[in-house]
Amino acid sequence: MVIRRNTAISLFAACWLLLFGYETFRAGYLSPLVLRHRSARARSKSGGLVGRRLPKFPLLFPPAGWIMFFNVDRSYGFAEVYALPRGGTEPVKLDPHDIFETTAVGYDNIRRNVLVGVLSRDRAPAFCRYLRRKFPQYGAFAVVYSQYPDVVDEPDRVISQVAYRCQ
Amino acid sequence: MNLSRLWRTAFLDFRPSLSLGLFRLAVAFTVGAHMIPSFFQMADNYLATAFKTQNDSFFPAWLLHLVAASPDWLVWAWVLVFFASWLAFAAGCFSQASCLLMTTSCYYFYALNNYHIGTLSFDILLVTLVLMCVTGFHGDCLSIDSLRRGNVRAYKRPRPYVIQRLLQCQLAVTFWHTALNKISAGGNWLTDNPYYYLMHYPPIGVVRDFPLRSVLAQHPGLCHGIGIGVVIIELLLPVLWFIPRTRPLGIAVGVLLQLLLWATLHVPTIFLFLFPPMMLLFIRPEALVRWIEARQAAQAERGRAVLLYDGRCGFCVASVTRLRILDLFGWVDPLDFHAQPDMSRLHPALTPERCRSEMVLVEPGGQLSGGFDAFVRLTRPLPLLWWAVLLVRLPGAPWVGRRVYRWVAAHRSLLHRQAMCRTNQCGLPTAENTSSN
Repeated sequence: MVIRRNTAISLFAACWLLLFGYETFRAGYLSPLVLRHRSARARSKSGGLVGRRLPKFPLLFPPAGWIMFFNVDRSYGFAEVYALPRGGTEPVKLDPHDIFETTAVGYDNIRRNVLVGVLSRDRAPAFCRYLRRKFPQYGAFAVVYSQYPDVVDEPDRVISQVAYRCQ
Repeated sequence: MNLSRLWRTAFLDFRPSLSLGLFRLAVAFTVGAHMIPSFFQMADNYLATAFKTQNDSFFPAWLLHLVAASPDWLVWAWVLVFFASWLAFAAGCFSQASCLLMTTSCYYFYALNNYHIGTLSFDILLVTLVLMCVTGFHGDCLSIDSLRRGNVRAYKRPRPYVIQRLLQCQLAVTFWHTALNKISAGGNWLTDNPYYYLMHYPPIGVVRDFPLRSVLAQHPGLCHGIGIGVVIIELLLPVLWFIPRTRPLGIAVGVLLQLLLWATLHVPTIFLFLFPPMMLLFIRPEALVRWIEARQAAQAERGRAVLLYDGRCGFCVASVTRLRILDLFGWVDPLDFHAQPDMSRLHPALTPERCRSEMVLVEPGGQLSGGFDAFVRLTRPLPLLWWAVLLVRLPGAPWVGRRVYRWVAAHRSLLHRQAMCRTNQCGLPTAENTSSN
């Protein structure tokens, strides 16, 4: 009985640790290692697995391991949303806190740059629909990608370009 | 120590599950703090009108399609499931089942829309939740489960230590990997000055406006030093946690690091709410048990309060067992008044008639209270009744409470589980019932 219990616990702990270790190092270390190895082999003979990353275990673990602020550079990109009032000609910048009113306990999700997630063109139809429902007083919207190219040397210079428009 | 012995000590040990019980409370608080605010904006977050994004690297496509097809009524039903299971988990009511249900509902909302709740810290929380689902030992103490089971010593009952150890490993690897990524695999904390750049982030950026920020923004060398210091601390902390002698220092530094992280950056508070309690999991559960027993001994020396109850009433005996579970530090000594030949020795105003009509509390200072008022007095010294301290003192609560108590006391013979107890004679005191806690 004790042996059976210890075997079950040991198996569970070993599998969990292996899986945990694999997912921790998969994206940052194991995948590049395997890709390098496969590229080297592909140079000698063509292989079908070249360029394929190691699979992620579904439903558990973050996609790239436990990475927090691991690479911070001088640039800073963010999203802005401008709206055109119905019958008006002057666009107004919408407060991001009005766009996403969901508050978080102890921190500001907008300051965490959550709005940057709307920039992807794939998300444009859904976000435009959302904007029209949330701000019926406006007739058109423009989602803008802005970037500080160098927050240290040029703290006031911002480059902006329209990511997409909602007409 | 050979490998097999090391493995046995690490994962096959049996130890008290008290730490896991405390950790359950922290996990419940963290889940609530992260999930509940998102339910205040259902139309924006989860219903058909919401702006939704999906995490397709986390969920298989078929599951995302299935969840995305949820009609609004189903979403609302899952909100109910979440709240019911979350409350049950926090209270330790069917601890494992409620943990499973709560975790499933977290997964559901994560699959439905990851835009607000999907963060790295939430992924960390989910890993923790999955481990908590494996066992129900976190319901052994500080829980409704412990009251249901009626085991007074449940907090020191040895249980498999494997889950607590895996949680320790999770935290240690998370810190090591965080540090490792900063100095390799694309991280630039050794080669560049990321902390200095953070100090220059625009007002909309992630850095809070803390007092020293402008000073740090003028000193790149100092920022570089802080950055290196952070990496060294992240690498060192797990070592400090695993070595018994350095453990208190490791935990103190770790908690301070999380506080500083929260005070300087707009990062999810999951880090602040979850990581410090995870660090406390490194404290040996036996040390916590010893601490509790030392407090019980100290209380016995100072003199305990005495609670007189009707030992021939099965309902009262069962209630006293629950009281003993709630009385973690041994503040009160329940005594069957039938077994007290001279009650005036405890207090001159005590009579068998009064003890027959209600429970009576005699405090070490000599203060006497009975019935609902005795319960009110118990809520302060009993840590597991602190949740009721304000509740029983609300305007009108004493009026209602006294009447409810009087009704229960008058009908206690009807509340017995066993039919033979209806005559109020079955609960003859046993040695366990009358012994001190």
